[in-house]
Amino acid sequence: MADEPERVHPDEVRRRLDRVGYLVDEGLATALALALSLGQPLLLEGEPGVGKTAAAKALARAWGAPLLRLQCYEGVTAGEALYEWNYQRQLLAIRLAESHHQTLHDADLFTEEFLQERPILQAVRCAGPVAPVLLIDEIDRADDEFEALLFEFLGEASVTVPELGTFVATRRPTVVLTSNRSRDLHDALRRRCLYHWIEFPDAERVVAILRRSVPAAREPLVASTAAFVGRVRTLDLEKAPGLAEAIDWLSALTVLGVAHLTRDDVERTLGAIVKTPDDGDLVRASLDELGYATSDGA
Amino acid sequence: MGGGSRVSDEGAALLAGVDRAAFAVALAVRLRKSGVVVGTTATQAFARALGTWEPRSIGMLYWMARVTLVQRQADLESFDAVFRAVFCATGLALDPAARRGSGPAGAAAARGSYRSVPGAAAVEVAGDGLPWATLPAAVAPADGDEAPLDLPERLPSRLSAVADVPFERLDPADLALLGDWLAEGLRQWPTRPSRRWDPHHSGRRVGLRPTMAAARRTGFEPVALVRTRPRRRPRRVVMLCDVSRSMQPYVAAYLHLQRAVAVATAAEVFAFSTSLTRLTAVLARTSSAEAAIEEATARVDDRFGGTRIATSLLTLLSSRHGEACRGALVVIASDGWDTDPPEAMVAAMSRLRRRAHRVLWLNPRLAAPGYEPLVGGMAAAAPYCDAVLPADRVGALGDVVRALVAGR
Repeated sequence: MADEPERVHPDEVRRRLDRVGYLVDEGLATALALALSLGQPLLLEGEPGVGKTAAAKALARAWGAPLLRLQCYEGVTAGEALYEWNYQRQLLAIRLAESHHQTLHDADLFTEEFLQERPILQAVRCAGPVAPVLLIDEIDRADDEFEALLFEFLGEASVTVPELGTFVATRRPTVVLTSNRSRDLHDALRRRCLYHWIEFPDAERVVAILRRSVPAAREPLVASTAAFVGRVRTLDLEKAPGLAEAIDWLSALTVLGVAHLTRDDVERTLGAIVKTPDDGDLVRASLDELGYATSDGA
Repeated sequence: MGGGSRVSDEGAALLAGVDRAAFAVALAVRLRKSGVVVGTTATQAFARALGTWEPRSIGMLYWMARVTLVQRQADLESFDAVFRAVFCATGLALDPAARRGSGPAGAAAARGSYRSVPGAAAVEVAGDGLPWATLPAAVAPADGDEAPLDLPERLPSRLSAVADVPFERLDPADLALLGDWLAEGLRQWPTRPSRRWDPHHSGRRVGLRPTMAAARRTGFEPVALVRTRPRRRPRRVVMLCDVSRSMQPYVAAYLHLQRAVAVATAAEVFAFSTSLTRLTAVLARTSSAEAAIEEATARVDDRFGGTRIATSLLTLLSSRHGEACRGALVVIASDGWDTDPPEAMVAAMSRLRRRAHRVLWLNPRLAAPGYEPLVGGMAAAAPYCDAVLPADRVGALGDVVRALVAGR
């Protein structure tokens, strides 16, 4: 195993993330602090738009660490996640050797010169002053084969290239995996990770987060936006707006120069928080109950 | 694991002088007894976490334990119950759902800028009240006093005991047919192309990696190009079974079908009457068909009641298992008697139709001579189904399989 990482207290995590504009609650602060202190990967789950990916990005920003990102999809292979050989250069090297009447061996062709590093190998071999943050995004979109591919890296922070040997990280990279739970992950993957379920924050935290994310927004608008999104979430929607949608919506309203939320503003910018036609109809029909009656319009 | 007993350097620690390893193991043992999956790695991580910094509040201890020991969201409830029983005997609400208050707009709870765990103030700091305070007694007391633990009762529900009606049993001949059908169906299960490529002689694409690997044997002259084609995967099946009173004679058979599907492929199976119950975890157990079916029966606590098909479908679509319907074969077994209005059914079915690859409706009443789908729910749902099939006997399930396979 690599040398023991430094101990980071949850309060320090909270402070540092606060400085880069990402507010965390006690649970997420503890989870991130443990991931940093124990050098174990952290699996973040939660409904879409609750800030899973943003957590990893903020962590990298707060520690000044390089962020390496691997977006998962079905069929992602070792060639895109770990490493690939530069076949074209290898073929050129062979032709070159032939023209010089030299003999080539495996050892000449499978060297680091021909190795193309992909995010995971990059994280292992990263030589900067700070251990990198590796974000393996939406792991649930990858398939079982890819999960199995990750085990060596998640367990030992090493990558084995059969032709070259095993690369072991000198400093364990901080690994954050996110999942939207579109399928159940294998127990073997969960076993290797710390786990945190991010809850949708309560109303006052939503206000605080909105205020930090859109500094240009006027104060009454922030409060009414948060309250409206909170009430819309209680409706029976196909896709309930998350925190990301709330931030987008507030940005949209701010760009449009809205100071006080009126029914008109809600209706013309509804596309920022409501993402299906059915949901749009439902929200429009419920505007009266949500506190934006027709007479309210300017 | 970290060094020996690293004494904290500031303030009063919660677990001063406690053997961390014994403490972690004792908690893990207790969690395991209440059904939370806790592995050795997780226990080790918890012990290491305790060695990294001393928890100064119950809240911090809670999060340290939860992040390291719990690995799936389904376990959170049991974990909270155990944690509450062990650390907060005062009975304060600990679980996130209870702490969330009256809803997103509630906003009333004044708990500071961070959501913390209530009960933190009410907990004594001294170690002697805790069973793991000393090493020799670390594990033994934790084993003994299981009785007062306030854990959620899992099975069977008290509600179901009231309305307990035995399912009709399949006769052995039918069961044998079901087995045959399973064997037959497995061979030609509908598949979908995946994004992963396999070498195949008639593939359209040249695989660089295998070609180069093969070329190493021929002096790096790529003599034979390795062609690849997309691998096919079994398509996911989502099956819902109506267990309302009108469906009573067919429920046992459909549960067997659900179990066969759940064991054979990546399937999600549900039962519904007035509400939706997920049966995948119960039915997919391979130990014994009888036991699995019995457990599933006990788990559905609203069976043989009324029917709310549209509501149940919408519940499924908006739940976290709703994603499972995407690109899947959705099979609904119901007679279409619905207490929800037909408009609700239209909304639910159109949403389901957009998400699913194929929708199949099994209606046992269809086999009756002269039957026409005039029931409001069935008439509303029929246009959104790729096929509506009679499935009143196990023999008819063969048609179901053919319909499934036909629509690959």
